[in-house]
Amino acid sequence: MAKLLPLASLVTAGLLSSTAAFACDDPIKVGVLHSLSGTMAISETTLKDTMELLIENQNAAGGLLGCEIEAVVVDPASDWPLFAEKARELLTVSEVDVIFGSWTSVSRKSALPVLEELNGLMFYPVQYEGEESSRNVFYTGAAPNQQAIPATDYFLEELGVEKFALLGTDYVYPRTTNNILEAYLQDNGIPAEDIFVNYTPFGHSDWATIVADVVALGADGKQVGVISTINGDANIGFYKELAAAGISADDIPVVAFSVGEEELSGLDTTNLVGHLAAWNYFQSAESELNDEWVTAWKAKMGDERVTNDPMEAHYIGFNMWVNAVTDAGTTDVDAVREAMYGQEFPNLTGGTAVMLPNHHLAKPVLIGEITADGQFDIISQTAEVPGDAWTDYLPESAVLMSDWQELGCGMYNTETETCVQLTSNY
Amino acid sequence: MLRTLLMALALCLTLPAAVTAQTLQSVLQTHSDEVAKPGRRTVGVFLDDLVASELPQAVPFLEAWRDREIVQREEDGLFFRNADGTLIDLDTGEVVGATDDVAVSESRPNGGVRRAIGDVLVQFQLSDPDIAKRQAAVDAIARSMDASQLAPLAASVDGEEDPALLATKERLVGLLQASFAPTAEERIQAIENLGSDLSVDTRAVLNKILATEPNVAARLPDDANVASILTPGVDLSEAEAYAQLVAADLAPAVVSDADIREALIANIVDDAVGGAPVATLNSQAARIAAYQVLADAGTVPPMVTADEQAAALDAHIFYLSYVEPEAQITDAARASLDAIETKVALSQAADLGLDALSLASIYFLAAIGLAITFGVMGVINMAHGEFIMMGAYTGYVVQLFVPDYTLSIIIALPLAFAVTFGAGVAMERLVIRHLYHRPLETLLATFGISIALQQLAKNIFGTQARPLTSPGWLDGALVFNDVIAISYIRIAIFVLALIFLALIVYVLRRTRLGLEVRAVTQNPGMASSMGINPDRINMMTFGLGSGIAGIAGVAIGLFAQVTSEMGQAYIVQSFMTVVVGGVGSVFGTLAGAGLIGGLQKGIEWLNPSNTLAAQTYMILFIILFIQFRPKGIVALKGRAAAD
Repeated sequence: MAKLLPLASLVTAGLLSSTAAFACDDPIKVGVLHSLSGTMAISETTLKDTMELLIENQNAAGGLLGCEIEAVVVDPASDWPLFAEKARELLTVSEVDVIFGSWTSVSRKSALPVLEELNGLMFYPVQYEGEESSRNVFYTGAAPNQQAIPATDYFLEELGVEKFALLGTDYVYPRTTNNILEAYLQDNGIPAEDIFVNYTPFGHSDWATIVADVVALGADGKQVGVISTINGDANIGFYKELAAAGISADDIPVVAFSVGEEELSGLDTTNLVGHLAAWNYFQSAESELNDEWVTAWKAKMGDERVTNDPMEAHYIGFNMWVNAVTDAGTTDVDAVREAMYGQEFPNLTGGTAVMLPNHHLAKPVLIGEITADGQFDIISQTAEVPGDAWTDYLPESAVLMSDWQELGCGMYNTETETCVQLTSNY
Repeated sequence: MLRTLLMALALCLTLPAAVTAQTLQSVLQTHSDEVAKPGRRTVGVFLDDLVASELPQAVPFLEAWRDREIVQREEDGLFFRNADGTLIDLDTGEVVGATDDVAVSESRPNGGVRRAIGDVLVQFQLSDPDIAKRQAAVDAIARSMDASQLAPLAASVDGEEDPALLATKERLVGLLQASFAPTAEERIQAIENLGSDLSVDTRAVLNKILATEPNVAARLPDDANVASILTPGVDLSEAEAYAQLVAADLAPAVVSDADIREALIANIVDDAVGGAPVATLNSQAARIAAYQVLADAGTVPPMVTADEQAAALDAHIFYLSYVEPEAQITDAARASLDAIETKVALSQAADLGLDALSLASIYFLAAIGLAITFGVMGVINMAHGEFIMMGAYTGYVVQLFVPDYTLSIIIALPLAFAVTFGAGVAMERLVIRHLYHRPLETLLATFGISIALQQLAKNIFGTQARPLTSPGWLDGALVFNDVIAISYIRIAIFVLALIFLALIVYVLRRTRLGLEVRAVTQNPGMASSMGINPDRINMMTFGLGSGIAGIAGVAIGLFAQVTSEMGQAYIVQSFMTVVVGGVGSVFGTLAGAGLIGGLQKGIEWLNPSNTLAAQTYMILFIILFIQFRPKGIVALKGRAAAD
C-alpha cells in the first residue's frame, strides 16, 4: 500500500497539472497509430490506452523540454493500406514529432514508405519476423532471436519435442518466422517431413480439421509440439477446439508468440493450463518497477485489466524517446535518432534494456506456462539477448547486418562490404 | 491440501525408515542448484540419487515438487514445502514458519521435468489407494514408454478395481509387451493382440518397431532384417547414395571444385603447382590437370571420376534394414500396421465427413435467417451478420447475470431470438419498408446499419473478444474411435440446425403465417385483396429471419469468438450459401450449405497446409458453379421464379 501512495499522488498531480500552464505554448505531439476497430482491435486498443497513461504520467512529471505532451490518436481500423494514409495524416496534417503504433508486420510495412519519405519516427512495439531495419523505425518488440528461437530451443531441450506443427495466420510475420524456424529446426536435425506447416486466414474459426491433423502427427511415436503464430481473435477458436479434443499441455504442448494476458482475458483458461507463451515480459514478473506499473495501469483502467508484453515495449520505447529528446534538447527526428543509440532504460522484468545501433533492443526472453487465472507462471528467463535484425538462420540474410550509428545502413552486406539499400522496399 | 499432507505424513511414519543418517534435506542440498532451477536433461542425476537414497519422504517430496509446492528459503538455501502459506520441514513434517515471514523462492519444474518426475513416481503410484494418483501413473507410462515399466505395470493389473483404469492398464501392458517382452513369441503374440486398435499410441508402438535405418554393403548380409532394397537414381539420388558409400568407408570421397582449389593453394611451391605455373591455372581443365599431378604424386587424395562413382554404386547394394533384428516380429508388426492404416484412412475420411457436416450445419444456421429475408422476401440485408453478433452478445450478457451455464444457454436462446426479432422488426418498420423494390438503396441502407451496429457493440462491449462459455456437459468430444471424434458443441449446433430446418419448413408450409408469407411474396396485390395485411406479414417474416440469426449467434459464439466483427465473417458465407442453394428455397439453402461445407473440407484435405487457399479455391468453384447454374441447386419453377 505504501507503494501505492506516491503513485496515487502522481496520478492526482497529473490531473491537476493538465490545467497548469507549461513553459512553452505549443505542445509536443505524439501520434498513436493503433487500430481501435477491426480484427486487431482486440490487441491494439490496449496499446492506445498505454500510450495515454504514459503521456499522462510524463505530463504529471513536468512534460518534456518544458512543454506539454499531447497524444494524437487515429484509428487505422485494422485496414493495412489505411496505416499508410493515417501515418501520412499524422506527419503532414497533425505534424507529430513521433509515432507509436502498428501491431502486425503487414501494417508496419504499409506505413514504412511514408515514414521514410517524410522522415518520420515510429516505435513498433510488437514481436516481429525481423529481416528489416528501417532508418525511421525503432523496433521495441522481439526479433526472432529474442522470442521464436529461444522458444524453439526450449521445446527441443526441455520438452524433448521431435515433431513440430507450425500454425500461423496467413501474413508476413508468421510466414517469415516459420521459414526461419524451418531452417533452424533442420539445422538442429529435425527432418523436413517432421515439420507440419499450416496457414489460416485472420479471424479463422473452424479449427476441428487442423487440430485433428496435429494429433495425427503423433502416429509415429514422436513427441509433437505446436508453435503458434496465430494472431488476433482466431486464437480463441483454436484453444477452444484443442480443449474440446481433450489435448492437454502434457500431450501436445503449444507455445504461442501472439497470445498474452490480454488475449487470454477473452477465454476460459482452465483447459489451457500448462500451454506456453514466449515473450519478453509477463505481468507476473517479480520486480518493484513492474508492481508499480501494474498498479498504475489497474488504477487507470480498472482492476480486471491486465498488462502484457507490447505494453512493456511501449513503456520502454516511450521512456527512451523522452530521455533521447531530453539529451538532444530537441524533437528533431535526426537528432533524436542519434541520441537514441545506447539509451538504457530498466526493464519491468529486471535488468536493463539497451537500444542497439540496429534499432533493436537487448531484452531478456521469458517463457511462461498459462495458469488457471489467465496469467503466466514464468519458468524460464534468460539474460538480455541483443535483437538481431537479419537472422543468421537463412542463408540470404546471414551475411546482412544493420548498423545505423557507424555504417549508416540498415541492410549492410558483410561479405561484399557494401550497403545493399537504404530504404525498406524489400 | 491438509489431507494430502496428513496422508503423506502417515506414509512417512508407517514406512520403515531406512537405517541411514542421510536426510532428504541433505540429498536436496547436494543437488541444490538442480532442485532450485531444474532442467529436463540434467534432472536425471538428482532423481537417480533420490531414488537410490530409498528415503520414504522422497515420494511425497516428488509429488509436492511436481505440484510446485517446494520453496527454497533464501537466507540459508534450505528447501521446504509450502502448504498454503506455511513452511513445512521435508524430513520431519513439522511446521517451521510462514512464507510471509521469510523470503522464499519457488522452484518451478517445467513440463519436461514434471514428466521425468512422473516417470519416477510411476512405480510408487501404480497401486496407490488414490485413483487420481493411479491414473497419473498410467498417464505417465502412456507418454513415455520404457522397458522398466512393464513388470510393475503388469503386477499392478491384478489389484486394479476401477474397470476403466483396468482396461487402460491392460492396453498399456499389451503395448509395452509388443515392444519390450523378453521373447519373440511373446512380442508377436502381443502385436497380434493389438489387433485393430486405431489409437495414436498403438500406431506409435508399431512404427517404432518398424523403424528402419539406411545401409549399404557389397552384398546383402544374411543376418540383416531387410525392409526394402533401394535403387540409386530411383529411391534415392545418386549423390546421396555415393555420400552413403563414403560415410561407410566403402568408397573414396568425391573431390569438389572447392577442394581442388584449396589443395592447389596449399601446394604452391615457387609460384607453381605440380610443375604448372600458377598463372596458367586459369581454366578448370588446367586446374584438374595440376591436381592430377599432385594426386599421382600421392600428396592429395585421388580424383574420383563419374565412371568410378557409377561403378562403385553398381558394386554395392543399398537397402533399408529394420533396427529390430527379428524378422518375425517386424513381419507381424507390418501386417498389424497395414491393417490399422487401412482402417485409419477410412476413419479419416469419415472424420472429414463429420467435420464437413458440422461446417455445413454452421453455415446453414447462419444462412437460414437470410434464406427467409433474402430468399423469400428478396431484401438484401447486409446487417444480417450483425443480428448474429447481437444474438451472441445477448448470450454473453445473460451469462453475466445467470452464472449457471446450462440455465443461461436455455435462457439465452429464446432471449436472443426475442432481441433480434425486435431489432429486425424495428429495422423493417423504420427503414426497409420504405425501400421495397429498390434493392440498391436497401443494400446501402442495411450496410450503413451494419456499420452502425458494429460500432454500437464496440462502444458497449469494448473491442475485446467476450467469452461465451458452453455448459460443462458440452465439453469434450464424442469419440467413435481414436480417429473419428467430434466435439459435443458441434453436435449441439448440428441438432439446433436440424430443429430450425424443421421449424422453418413447418412454419412456411403448415401454418397460416407461412401461407400468408408465400401469398404476399408471390403477389402482394392479390394477397391484400384477399384480406391479408402485407405490411404485417412482411414485418413478421423479417422479424422471424432476424430472430433465427440471433439464435445462430448464440450457437456460433459457443465454439468461436464473440467480437463486434464476428458477423462479417458470416455475411459473405451466408449470401453464398443462399445463392448457391437457390434463392427462395429452404431446402436449397440446406443443399448450398452442404455443398460449401463439403467442398471446403475437401479442398482443405487436398491442401492441408493452407486453409486460406482452400477458401479461395472454393470461391472460384462457386463462381464457376453459378455460371452454369445461375439459379442455384434448387431452382424455383413457375410463377415464383418469374422475376
